Amino acid sequence: MFDLTAEPRMQRSHGRARVGFAMTGGAVRLTDLQQAGSGKAMLPRVAGPVPEVVFLNTSGGLTGGDRLDFTVAVGADARVSATTQTAERAYASTGGMAEVRVRAQVDAGGRLDWLPQETILYEASRLSRHTEIDLSGEASCLMAEAVVLGRHAMGEEPKDATLHDRRVIRRDGRPIWAESLMLDAQALRRQQSPALLGGARAMAVLALVARGAEDALAALRAVLNEPGCTAAASGWDGRLVLRVLARDGWPLRRQMARAIRVLTGRPLPRVWQMQGETR
Amino acid sequence: MAMGAPWGMTIFMAIEADRLRLAQLLSPAFPIGAFAHSQGLEAAISAGLVTDEASLRDWIEGAILHGSGRMDAIFLTLARAPGADLPALADLARAYMPSLGRAREAEELGRAFGAQMAAITGQESPLLPLPLAIGLATRGLEVGDGEVLALWLQGLAAQLVSVAVRFMPLGQSAGQRLISGLAPLIVQAAADYARLGLDDLGSCTIGADIASMTQETLEVRIFRS
Repeated sequence: MFDLTAEPRMQRSHGRARVGFAMTGGAVRLTDLQQAGSGKAMLPRVAGPVPEVVFLNTSGGLTGGDRLDFTVAVGADARVSATTQTAERAYASTGGMAEVRVRAQVDAGGRLDWLPQETILYEASRLSRHTEIDLSGEASCLMAEAVVLGRHAMGEEPKDATLHDRRVIRRDGRPIWAESLMLDAQALRRQQSPALLGGARAMAVLALVARGAEDALAALRAVLNEPGCTAAASGWDGRLVLRVLARDGWPLRRQMARAIRVLTGRPLPRVWQMQGETR
Repeated sequence: MAMGAPWGMTIFMAIEADRLRLAQLLSPAFPIGAFAHSQGLEAAISAGLVTDEASLRDWIEGAILHGSGRMDAIFLTLARAPGADLPALADLARAYMPSLGRAREAEELGRAFGAQMAAITGQESPLLPLPLAIGLATRGLEVGDGEVLALWLQGLAAQLVSVAVRFMPLGQSAGQRLISGLAPLIVQAAADYARLGLDDLGSCTIGADIASMTQETLEVRIFRS
């Protein structure tokens, strides 16, 4: 007999993109590029010595059962900036979690700036993401992660979105900085609570792991005054961490852009600028 | 042991002794200095985010259900398991600290706790962040994880209430009433957390994390974190 109770099989997207760089002949060069399914990695021409990788999920968003894997390898003494083409959208899921894995390896003396654009959670979305950055020796990295609840302009106020967003930076195998943001319907019922989101709809973290990272604390604190945001930073033992809560995605983006500029000493990835960030 | 004492009675007495030990270690009177730390609550009160009994209760419930209480409870449970890799857990617990103040709190209290345990047992204790130090110290006690976690979470509530009683207009009795009222929530959370593992680590108290960072920049402050 036919099984009439089975869920209809939906087309699930799977994507993988992997890039690798090495310092050769005094310049950082691409040594590896692999793409599969909805995963793409683009290398726009940029001025200056730091290549920029732009990852893209061509499926246009994530829903239950989707898989997306991005990988970056940065060779010794190379510096690379990586971002995403657009905000990642987590759409309503009828069942399982969408799974995203971001992995990076940075060899001794290398530096990775992982600065993806924000993730937008829609009502009933279910997203599980692991971001793991492994540093070797004196390597360093800056990572940002921003999450926005619904589209403000559309008046969306998700009440039942699920996000488990695990972020870890290790040095020589030992975790140095970790954070797991766990948003769900129970947490969103307390969205107004000052201990949780204080009514904010947008949130972000920025973490610099580098020897002496805490030395930049005063310079970072000096730019934490963006209107519409509540932000604070702390630094200790080779870590510098910024957290921001914002009324919506725009002030969050402006605050993050200013903080990132302080910590990179460089312009933002072009894809960030093209989407209206100019300050 | 008295000759002829029923075997069942000696087991019963041993378990009762373990319960006593647990109450001793997790008592606010155990001298480790927990009441010098507010986990950012002082900054939240200064900023007007916590102003009365209701907003204090909301803050503490957030810490227990979505914040430091949840995270520390998972680490404590993991450290109680026989054969747990304590150095690896300590690295991970330190990596998860949301701010310098919280990192200092866990280290300083863990060190003080270890020193007290060494004095009690005569054996040196490894240097561990507080939740792991408590997990290790309670490993050999015949009490369930849920019972340990419930006492631990009630201790967190008492720590935060003590901050509020000293720093905002809130009477001692109101504070104790608040702690009593949290009992059902604490018992349920403790039972839930006893079943969780590494993959369940997670929090959503960004406001409290920001407050613990802001605490570092208060011009006048009473609490160390």
